Amino acid sequence: MKALVLLGCPETPSQTPMAVYVFNKLTKLGYDTTIAANPAASKLVKISDPEGYYKLNLVDLERTLGEINEGDYDLLVGFVHKDAAASFFVTFDQILNTKSLALVFSRDINEVEEFVNMIEESGSNAKIEAIRAFHNPSPIKVKFDKAIKEFE
Amino acid sequence: MSFCLDTYLQQSDNYEIHASKAGFKDCAMIIRYKADDLVYIKPGDEVLGVRVIGIPPIPIGFDNEKGTVFLPYTKPCHGTSVVELPIDKEEVEKIKKLDTGNKK
Repeated sequence: MKALVLLGCPETPSQTPMAVYVFNKLTKLGYDTTIAANPAASKLVKISDPEGYYKLNLVDLERTLGEINEGDYDLLVGFVHKDAAASFFVTFDQILNTKSLALVFSRDINEVEEFVNMIEESGSNAKIEAIRAFHNPSPIKVKFDKAIKEFE
Repeated sequence: MSFCLDTYLQQSDNYEIHASKAGFKDCAMIIRYKADDLVYIKPGDEVLGVRVIGIPPIPIGFDNEKGTVFLPYTKPCHGTSVVELPIDKEEVEKIKKLDTGNKK
């Protein structure tokens, strides 16, 4: 089983710890997990694991977009906290056509609603977990744990 | 060698940005407003050597008189922009073959 985790712009503090958490959780569930991120987001995650304890598998987001095909992954998990992240998630979701989970969050509840609408309007079958969050990763962690249990 | 949009935008100044750091929906609206001919494609369809990112149906516009194309261009930290650049007829035909006809 293979999982792809999409990171958005690194501006939101809760994304980096959640990326490591999601990678670890999915790996323990038996997924061969890859994190796709832009160079800035990737660097934050990489430096969070200085001893290579988690064996994080990081790849470039845009290069991955150019290379993926339907069937390459069994699960897609995306961090959606910006308009561009919603667009990236929907695009990866449509190409991979696989089981998918969108973790939608923002400090602004109106943005949360807007990003959820963007995913729903795309016709995606993704499971969407949405919460108001920014600095504190705990609400996102709770949503992710609940959603991933349903996928098990 | 086939055309690559990323390389073109880095190495040429023969293009125009009509919106930058915007949301996808605003950019789609600008393309619909500015173009005199439109096709609607799926996210991930390849246009000018790159997979187009966005929420379907994604509008790609043409200015037939100027021989240019309008397309959305999304970067994770910079949002979506509308880029207008010259396009040859062969590429226009390739894009028109991607038309889903879905205008929503």
